[in-house]
Amino acid sequence: MDYSEAANRISRKFAQGGQTPDVKKIESKLKRLVDEFGVQPSEAERSVTSELAKEYNLPAPGSGGSSGAGGSGGGTQEKKIAEGVPGEWVTIEGKIVALSAPASASIAQSGIIADESGAIRFVVWAKSNAPAMAEGSWYRIESAVVDEYKGVANLKVHSGTTIKEIAEDRSLIPTPIPIKDLHPGIGGVRAKFVQEWEANHERMLQSGLLGDETGTIKFVIWKEPGKEKLVPGAVYNIFYAQVDEFNGRLSLNLNAATILQEEGEIAVNGGETSFTGAIVHIAPGSGIIKRCPVEGCNRALSRQNYCPVHEIQPKFVYDLRIKGWLDDGERTHNILIQRDVVEALTGISLEKAQEIAENNPLGMDEVFLQMRDAVLGRYITCHGREIDGRLLVNKCDKVAFASGDHTALLNRAGGAPS
Amino acid sequence: MSTNARDMPRREGAFEREPARRVFAAELRECRYQFKDGEDEKSPTFALLPSGQRSNRIFLVGTLTEKTRQGEQNMFYRGRVVDPTGTFFVMAGSYQPEAMQQLAKIEPPQFVAVIGKPNLYQKPDQSWLVSVRVESITVVDKETRDLWVLDTAKHTLDRVDAFAKEPTPDILKAKEQYPTIDPSLFRKIAYDALAQIKM
Repeated sequence: MDYSEAANRISRKFAQGGQTPDVKKIESKLKRLVDEFGVQPSEAERSVTSELAKEYNLPAPGSGGSSGAGGSGGGTQEKKIAEGVPGEWVTIEGKIVALSAPASASIAQSGIIADESGAIRFVVWAKSNAPAMAEGSWYRIESAVVDEYKGVANLKVHSGTTIKEIAEDRSLIPTPIPIKDLHPGIGGVRAKFVQEWEANHERMLQSGLLGDETGTIKFVIWKEPGKEKLVPGAVYNIFYAQVDEFNGRLSLNLNAATILQEEGEIAVNGGETSFTGAIVHIAPGSGIIKRCPVEGCNRALSRQNYCPVHEIQPKFVYDLRIKGWLDDGERTHNILIQRDVVEALTGISLEKAQEIAENNPLGMDEVFLQMRDAVLGRYITCHGREIDGRLLVNKCDKVAFASGDHTALLNRAGGAPS
Repeated sequence: MSTNARDMPRREGAFEREPARRVFAAELRECRYQFKDGEDEKSPTFALLPSGQRSNRIFLVGTLTEKTRQGEQNMFYRGRVVDPTGTFFVMAGSYQPEAMQQLAKIEPPQFVAVIGKPNLYQKPDQSWLVSVRVESITVVDKETRDLWVLDTAKHTLDRVDAFAKEPTPDILKAKEQYPTIDPSLFRKIAYDALAQIKM
């Protein structure tokens, strides 16, 4: 086998991506694989190629990046930031709009780079020996690679990438995105801080809910020098926030974002909605339940007072809820009714339910049966927020007979066919 | 600022419960055709209403006028629930222990709300029986009954109106299966039911 020809072929592939691999070294690796280990020449070439790709932190040529800008030819393309697709080599010009603390020693710099089309997170590997970039300056980044990390597009600066500072001073004013249209990546919103949540992690500075006219989204700020808390009730323009996805839900990480408070007001749509229908099913787990007393847990306990996380909890806390289905004859909605609404709807208070549960031979089942008999088959209107196909009910009204509806229906039934 | 390549597919809701259809006794009584949607053993069974809608489950409110216990080893309860247009035959057996206990406790006459699944049987004399296998039955008040009559009249009129317009596959099937039934009959039935509610 002609090792030098194969070695040159491999080296050329990487040269297109801006790398300069050692041809002699490639040759000796190939030789060793074929002569010593009896590997098929084609397999040896593939294996050395992918080893190099790994070394440079690139997708293996020919495996990823089907769109052709990778190892298969063409070199890198000059692109707008929003056009970068995972697996591609790109050349971009943009402004460093945020720098964040590197998460690991192998990372020299990370942050967000933006142009008119959008923004992307970037990572500069320590191995790449790239010059440090400054926040607020413009750079031309040649032969970097777009890949995907945790479902979010990411620009990787490796040793084959060249970075040049350029004299640009265009001002970038990103347009805010409606919250319901956000997707994983980098995004900006104009939103109101509608609800502050207790920080449930020692590294967390603040978390809560941001809302605009189209919906709400959770946000997080992690503790870092210089980070400030948002003021509940205030309206903010937030640029270059990181949109993460977890279990199909989005959240905003504001650590690298540019945040400007403004004077305006936003009528937040909290996902409030309502359904009217008949309750056609009360699910097991309704009635009086026991909750885990550990702070921040609040999970429902099993009959043996067992919490899936905190095990046996004899000092449980009682609560009321109703899980069921509300049906309008065309669609059935999953509903979850919380304690004060359950009390109003069933006429059974938590104290009374607790007394029944502790003194009746059927115990907690008796509460379930009494509540079922009080609400099943009844027409009600439920108001609340719909999350993951389930309506979290914070207000319930019993439907009252309206003689106006009656008259209208009589007219409709008695009138000529429409 | 997005490209399609970066958009993530969002998760879809997995399970959809079959809605409980609203139908008067006079219409349900006319059902002669039931079918399975799919080949699977667990595929839902639907009764085809003559007004052209499939129903796997129904919700009805009426007066329980009588109940009888039948069978020794396989005990079950039968009941008659009357609405302004006719009678629903309901039953709950040992496969619906919860529903059977609920029915056993109710002393007729009472207004009851029933959620259940319609089933068609052909008796030895070739006549048909449409019965409702009870999932749940509870005692309710007269106002709930009146609300149900309004609700059911509205859905019945919606179906009759739809029948006369764009035919859906189920409407075409109803025309084929019930050639002698004119759904405008159910408009009159709805009117009579509404007229029985005292203002």
